[in-house]
Parts: sequence; structure tokens; C-alpha cells
Amino acid sequence: MIWFLLVLYVAAASATATLGGRLGRNALWIAAVPMAATALWSLTIVGSDDVVSAGFDWVPGLDVSILFRVDALHALLSLMVAGIGALVCVYSAGYFTSGAAGLGRFAATLVTFSGAMVGLVWADSVWTLFLFWELTSITSFLLVGFKHTDPVARTAARRALVITAGGGLALLAGFVLYVDAAGTAVLSDISPITGSTATAAAVLILIAAATKSAQVPFHVWLPGAMAAPTPVSAYLHSATMVKAGVILVAVIAPAFQETDVWKPLGLAFGLTTMIWGAIGALRHVDAKLILAWGTVSQLGLLIALLGIGTPKATFAAIALLVAHAVFKAALFMVVGEVDVRTGTRNINELSGLRRSMPITFAVALVSGLSMAGVPPLLGFPAKEAAIEAVLGLEGSERLLVGGLVIGGAVLTVAYTTRLLFGMFGRSEPMPDRRVAPSRPAMVVAEVVLAFATVAGFVALGGVTQLVRSAAVLVAPKAEVYSLLRWPGLTTAFIVSMIVVVLGSVVGVAVARRVVVGGPAARGAANVDALIDGIGRAARRVAGRVQHGSLPLYLATTVVMVALASAVFVVEIDADALYWWDNRAEAVLVVMIVAAAVAATTVDSRLGAALVLGAVGFSVAGLFVALGAPDLVLTQLLVETVIVVGFVLGLGRLATRFPTATRLWLAGRIVVSVLIGAAIAVALAGAASSPSGQPPVLDLATSAVADGGGNNVVNVILTDTRALDTLGEVVVLLTVAVGILTLTRTRSRRHHEPTESAT
Amino acid sequence: MSLAMIIAVGALASTGTFLVTSRSLSRIVLGFALLGHAAVLALLASGGRAGRPPIVDGSATAETANPLPQALSLTAIVISFGLTLYLLALARRQQMLTGDDLVEDDVEDRRIAATEDWVVLTSDETLAIESHHDDGSGAEADPNPASNVELNVESNEAHR
Amino acid sequence: MIARTSPIVRLAVRAVTPIALLIAAFVLFAGHNQPGGGFAAGLLLGAVIVLRTVAGLQQPRHAAVFLAVGGVIVGLEALTPLLWGQPLLDQVVVSRHVPLLGKVKTGSALIFDLGVVAVVVGLVIAVLDGFGAASLVDRGRRPIDDAPVDASVDTDSGRNR
Repeated sequence: MIWFLLVLYVAAASATATLGGRLGRNALWIAAVPMAATALWSLTIVGSDDVVSAGFDWVPGLDVSILFRVDALHALLSLMVAGIGALVCVYSAGYFTSGAAGLGRFAATLVTFSGAMVGLVWADSVWTLFLFWELTSITSFLLVGFKHTDPVARTAARRALVITAGGGLALLAGFVLYVDAAGTAVLSDISPITGSTATAAAVLILIAAATKSAQVPFHVWLPGAMAAPTPVSAYLHSATMVKAGVILVAVIAPAFQETDVWKPLGLAFGLTTMIWGAIGALRHVDAKLILAWGTVSQLGLLIALLGIGTPKATFAAIALLVAHAVFKAALFMVVGEVDVRTGTRNINELSGLRRSMPITFAVALVSGLSMAGVPPLLGFPAKEAAIEAVLGLEGSERLLVGGLVIGGAVLTVAYTTRLLFGMFGRSEPMPDRRVAPSRPAMVVAEVVLAFATVAGFVALGGVTQLVRSAAVLVAPKAEVYSLLRWPGLTTAFIVSMIVVVLGSVVGVAVARRVVVGGPAARGAANVDALIDGIGRAARRVAGRVQHGSLPLYLATTVVMVALASAVFVVEIDADALYWWDNRAEAVLVVMIVAAAVAATTVDSRLGAALVLGAVGFSVAGLFVALGAPDLVLTQLLVETVIVVGFVLGLGRLATRFPTATRLWLAGRIVVSVLIGAAIAVALAGAASSPSGQPPVLDLATSAVADGGGNNVVNVILTDTRALDTLGEVVVLLTVAVGILTLTRTRSRRHHEPTESAT
Repeated sequence: MSLAMIIAVGALASTGTFLVTSRSLSRIVLGFALLGHAAVLALLASGGRAGRPPIVDGSATAETANPLPQALSLTAIVISFGLTLYLLALARRQQMLTGDDLVEDDVEDRRIAATEDWVVLTSDETLAIESHHDDGSGAEADPNPASNVELNVESNEAHR
Repeated sequence: MIARTSPIVRLAVRAVTPIALLIAAFVLFAGHNQPGGGFAAGLLLGAVIVLRTVAGLQQPRHAAVFLAVGGVIVGLEALTPLLWGQPLLDQVVVSRHVPLLGKVKTGSALIFDLGVVAVVVGLVIAVLDGFGAASLVDRGRRPIDDAPVDASVDTDSGRNR
């Protein structure tokens, strides 16, 4: 079933990607199919003890395998991911007009993301998790940059990619260390590890989770990601992808809870983010940005709860995770609808929409109050559990963490109130704006989510069962906890009520103050400046290094080779060297050197060709002295043809070689002498460490016996190294064809008069 | 190994490199030919002492030269022969097309070095999603200072 | 150029041609036991063609034919052993008595060498043709009295086969 569903995702992605243009909005329905199927199948697993797994060995040698495991926790998450995904598809059908361009692309990317996210939550080995983790980063990049003609969207997409992909690198490193320390990559075999490797892995994995889940200071990409179409924001940037970090922390926490850094770092990330995100939400006027910053804040709370690590906190985190996905997706959808129907998301411009958009208002109210933690809605028991968990801490921890969480909760209520009040409150009608007719598909999706928020509270026993069966998989002791509809007059309840009241007061007060424009996104600007700076530095380096001068490239390479050869100096053994094999050799070497030096100084090309011939024939003579008759014959003939070629090819040019600057000339001389010396050193070094006597006798024997020839060299060429010789023939053929083609235009012109003459 | 051979190889490599780093194609061809000689001699020199030709005729083979480097050298000679001729053809064509045989700087590399900005946008800027409304454009202040020297390319600045 | 002013040179080249061909043939056959082989033989033939071209005795033409024939021979020789399940380029040695020469040992390597000869000759002709050796001769004050002797090249190689 796991494979079937994943293949269904691939099929839907391929279909929408290839047929997208013709399908119009139907592409969205195709995209919804695998999501709906996954959600329905997850329903059969969720809350039960069933475990379904699948997988195969990918790289057996490295112990890398693709493993999936669907248990109560994974099924709960995939239900959330796929269920909201299907609703987002429905919503998108209303959001986009039927003729919208790029709908196929949108649907294909969305369904690919959904499949990647489902794969991520089902993953049972760290490598599988990593694979799908990266896939979500890429699809997120594509979706944020969906409006690729808009530079704002492009910049935001780039920023999101750089931060989340950087986190991906940290994740990979963290996983490598984790597998090294734990000895297994399978997540269901998790067991506590300690030690310095474990600590490093914990830090890296927490950083990865922080980038994905937008924790301060990595949060800057998330508000920018609001450049994506609203359905994408509702899906990726509130309900699912940003939860990937939280999910990662949840499933891997049992391994690291005993390391020193896990809890403090997790709490530091989480609490800072919670407060800073809530403050951000209070400062913005764009409703979508308020929600984005609110999401940052909520993610902080989730990470903080998981950082605390008590069973109760874990239980609360999972409950809150689900509740948040439901209400935040609904709120994003509401904002999207308001945007589409009124043309603005600025809460200063919006007002009094409760009358013109009653259903939307109801959805917003239900979801918003759920976010604020007001009964009788799903958000209330979840937040209640969170506060209980925090109050369950002891000593200074209780004071610090408790204080911050409760403070964050107050701010949450405040920005929620401000948002609802700004959009729907205030009685004065909106000036100069007509509210467009409602779009049923959008409303349907919103209402389903709002209904889930209410129904979740009504059927709280069922929800408790789902959450508990999921939570025990990460924290076995969590089975004693429940979500309570009416907890009684506990401290937590009283605290929550104070939070709600205080928050509402602050919220209304802030909402009355008209803020013009939002705060400058300094963090995002810094990230962009950094990216731009790196890019510009790269360009500058490339401009320097890749200057375009061929001789300079060559000289650089040659100098590097020369320097690399310098180490052979230590290998030289003076005893292995002698002046010459015979006198003739010495004389010929002198001739070669003289001719070679002459070749560099002659300045007529014909003269150069003749000097080249002199070198060649001297080399042939040297072959005689060395006892290589085959080489002599070949060298003589080759040299003849080359000299003829030189005379014919360039001989008729009477021009002189162009003169170069003196400095460049000096540089070339230095480089040349350097490489000559380096090669001489390398040769001498090689001669000083022979690896034994040459197998002359063996070669001679086998030449006669196997090759049927007395000329050992030729037998080697045509028999032992026959394939090389074949390659050699191919080279010559290629050269001949190349010469004919390169010179064709010219030679044809010269043929014609000859032919008419004959 | 005899120092004579080492000197020959070193000298050929030096002069070859000197010629190859020239800007005149015919000199480069010349340089390649010299480098080819250097390679062949280096192969031979590394095969051991000079000796009798490696042809089996019943006589003692103890003083025979090592045939393997010779076989390798033969291939090397043939390949550098082909390479030299091909380079000649290239030089000739260059001379036919431009009137001289000078190696110019790579124009594309020069262009890259001269460009100030690093983002070169060439994407199809016309395709736009016709969503009913452009949401998200007010997301965050975006101080991207990118600019571009290319014509017909939209830079981020153009949108600011 | 030289030939234009000197009929003697032309005559000498004409006289040398058959001798050079004979040497080329010897080098080809000797290759297995003595210095020589296909490449050297091909270059020798090439040198003859160079001489004849420079002397104005012949036009360098039909390079493509030589290249094609040579390439096909070499390729076939390389692939044929596969038909008998032998490795690529496997050699067969044949040894028999021939009148005048005594015991001659030859093998399929000879066919390979013949292909190499054709390719090298083709390459030399390509160089001459491409680099405009013909025009070098044509630019004379008077037209060449000898017609281009393409046929001689063909018979040369024919004799080798």
C-alpha cells in the first residue's frame, strides 16, 4: 500500500506536469487524488497499534536503505499532511481562475511536495528522511518562486532555498555522525546515545530542524516565503513543511535527550523564536505576514515543548502540532479569500468584513479562537496541555520557561485578536472597495477545517486516543495523559483564562493603533546581502582566474605541474645516474639542445620549420644510438612528412612572429626553465628507484611464441597492444578527416582551375 | 639513466613550453612537436640502459634494449605526428579566416570578467501567472541591489 | 617549384618511384621480423607521393577513398575474430614455403598492417591536398605538361595488396 500510494503521487505529478496546460483547473483535482487516498488509508492506521512497513536496500555496501514505516504517529502526521493537502487542492480550485497560466506546473509541484512530505513522515531510516527532506526544500523553492516573473518572489525563493538547503547540509552531517555513534540508521531502533559525536550530531540536527522550522535566527526565510500563492502558504508554510523540523526533533529526540546540549539548545531556539515571532506578528499590517510570524511563534513553542522533553510536554507538542495545522491552514485560507475578494490584505484598509463575508468570518473566528486557546475548540485542550507541561517543571526552569511560554501565549492571543479585529471588526464600511462574489471551492475547504476544529473538541476522546497512541511511540510514558474538555479549576486553567483576557485587551489596544507599513525586514535583507556578496565575490574571483588568455592559462598549469614535481628532488640517487651511454648519444643530445634552443629564436616560420626538422632528425639519430631501429625508421619518415606539412601549411607566410612585451617574455622564459628543470628532476628521481630489471627476455620469448615475429617491438604493437594500435589508427583517421574538413573551402577553390586545365 | 638523456628531455620540455605559451599558432605547433619529442625521449630513457636492437635472432639477449618503451614510444610518435598535422590545419584555417594566426583572448571569458553583477537573468520574463490577484507582493521589503549590464534583461532594480 | 625549373629532378623522381615502392613493400612484409611495419610502409609511400606531388608528377587526390578503405580493413580485421569466438584483434599466424623467399611466416597482422598503410597514405594525401600542395605546383609560369597521375597511386596500393 505504501508503494502504491507513493507511485500514485509520482503518477499524479507526471500527469499534471505533462498535461498541465490542457487540464486547466482539473489538474488540481488530479493532484488531490493521491492526497485523498493517503489520508483515507492513514485513517485506517491512526490510533491503532498496526504497523505497516516497506523498503529495500539501496546501497547495501554502505548500509543505506529506503525504509518506510507507518505506525500511529506516522499515520497521524500523514493524515494531517495529506488531508490538508487535499483540502488545499480544493481551495486552489477557487483561488485560481480557470485560465490561470502555470496551473499544471503548480499542481505538479504541489503534489510532488505532498508526496515528499508523506515520504518524510513515513521514513524509517535517516537516509530516507534526508532524501525527502531535501525534496521538500526543493519543491518549496519552486512554489515560493512560483510567480517567477516577480523579482520579490525570486529573491524570497532563493533565500528560502539557501537557508533550508544549508540546513539540509547540517542534517546530512548530523545524520552521518548519528549513524556513526548509534550504529544504526533505522529510526524505529532508536536508543539514547552520548559522547562527543552524539553531541555534535545533536547540535547539527537541531540546527537543521531550526532552519526548516524557521527558528530564530533562521526564521527570515518564512515571512519572505509568503510571496508564494496563498494555497501554498496555507499548506507548506503553516501546516506541513515547516513542521518537518518539529517532526524531526520529535522522532529523533529519544536518541539525544541524554546529551548535554539537546535540551538547552532546543529551549533556546524555541523560546526565543516563540517570543520574537509573536512580537513580529504584532508589528505587521499585512494579514498574511501576521499569520506567518504567528507561525514562527507557534513553531517556537513546539520546539520548546519538545526541548523540555518530558512525556507530558511531548504529548502536548503532538496535540498542538495537529491543532495548529488545522487552524493555521484555515486562517491562511481565510486571508487568501479576503485577499482575492477585496484586493488587499492590509488590516488598516480592511474593516467590517463580518457582514459581507459571514461564513468566512465564522471560520476565521473559530480558527482564531482555537489559536488563542479559547474553549470549546481544539486549540484549547492542546494549549492547556502545553501550559500544564510547563507548569510541571521545577525550580528556576519552571520560572523561566513557564514565564516565557505564558508570555508567548499572551502575545498569541493579542495578535490573534488584532488580526480578527482588523479584518472583520470595526463597523465603518470599507471605502472604495467592492467585495467580489464568494467562491464556493474556497469556502468549502475553509469550512471543513473549521468543522474539524470544532469536532475535534466535541470528540475529544477520539482525538486524545489518536494523539496518545502517537505520543507513546516517542515518549512511552505519555500514555497516562489525556486532553481534557473541562479540566476543572486547575492552576493551568486559571492561567489560561488570565492569558486570554490579558491577550485580548492588549490585542484590541494594539489594533486600535494604526501602524503604517511594516517593520523593515532587516534579517532578510542581511541574508540577501550575504548571498549577493558571495555571488559577487565569486564573479570577481572568476573574472580574475578566468581571464581568457590562453598562454597565461597554460603557464599557470605548467607552473603548478613544475611545483608538484619539485618533491622528486629528494628521490634522486646520484649513483643511479651517469653521463652517457655512448659518445654518439652525447653528441646528438648537444645537437638536439642546440636545435631546440634555435627553434625558439628563429623568427621566420620557414626557418622554424627547418629547425624543427633538425631536432627531429637528431632525435632519430639518438634512437640509433639507443638501439631502437623501429623508432629510427618511423621518426625519419614522420619528420619528413611533418616538415613538408610545415612548409606547405605555413611556409608561404612571410610575416614575422609578433613581438611581445619584455616582461611577458621574461615570465615565459622563467616558466619554461622551471618546467624543464622539474621534468628533468622527475626523470632523475624515477631513474633512482627502479622497480626491477626490465622483462626483456620474457617479452622476447613471448613475441616469438605467441606473436609469431622476431621484431619484439612490432609484435608488442600489433599483438600485445593491438587495441592501442587500433586506437592509433582511429586517431590518424580522425586527423585526416579533420584536415580535409578544416581546409576544405580553400582546397576546393584551388582544384577547379586544375580540373578545367586537364 | 644517462644525464645526457635527462638534459635532452629537459631542454626539449623547456623550449616546447616556451613556444606553446606564445600567441602565434605556428609557434604553438612547433612547441607541441618539441614536447612530443620530449615525451618520447622520456619514455625511452625510463626503459633502462641503451642496448642492442630488440630483434630476436638467436643471439644472446642480455644486452638487448627494453622493447616495451620502444613500443610505447612508437605510439607516442604516431600520435604526436597526428596532433602536429592537425594543429597545422587549425593554424592554417585560422590564418585563412582572420589573416593572421594569433591566438586571441577568449571573448566569453573577457565578458564574464568585465560583468559587474553576478546574476544574469535570462529567464522568459513574459510568462506570468494570471491569478486573479497578485498576492504576496507586499511580503517584505526587498532591498536586493542587483543590477545588470545586459540589455533586455530585467534586473531586480527595474522592479523596485 | 623545384620540379618546374628542373626536368632532371622530375626524371629522378620518376626513376626513384618504383624503387621506393619496392622498399615500401619490403618494409611492410619485414615488419614482423625486422624493423618496419604498416606505419613505416605507409609513410614511405606517403613520402613517394610527396615527392611526386612536389615534382608536379601527380595531384594529391582521393584521400577519402584511402581513408575509408583503410578504416574498413582495420575495423574488419579487428572484429573478425569475434565471429570465431576469439577475442578482439586476435592474430592468426600462417607459415608456408614460397619459392625464392624460402619459409615465409605471415599472419592476419599483415592484413591489419595493410589497413594501416592505406590510412597513413590517406593522411599524407589529405595533408598535401588540404595544405594546397597542388597550387604550389600550379603557380608555374607554364602549365604542367604531365597529366595528373592519380592512377599511379591506385596501382601502387593495388600492388601492395
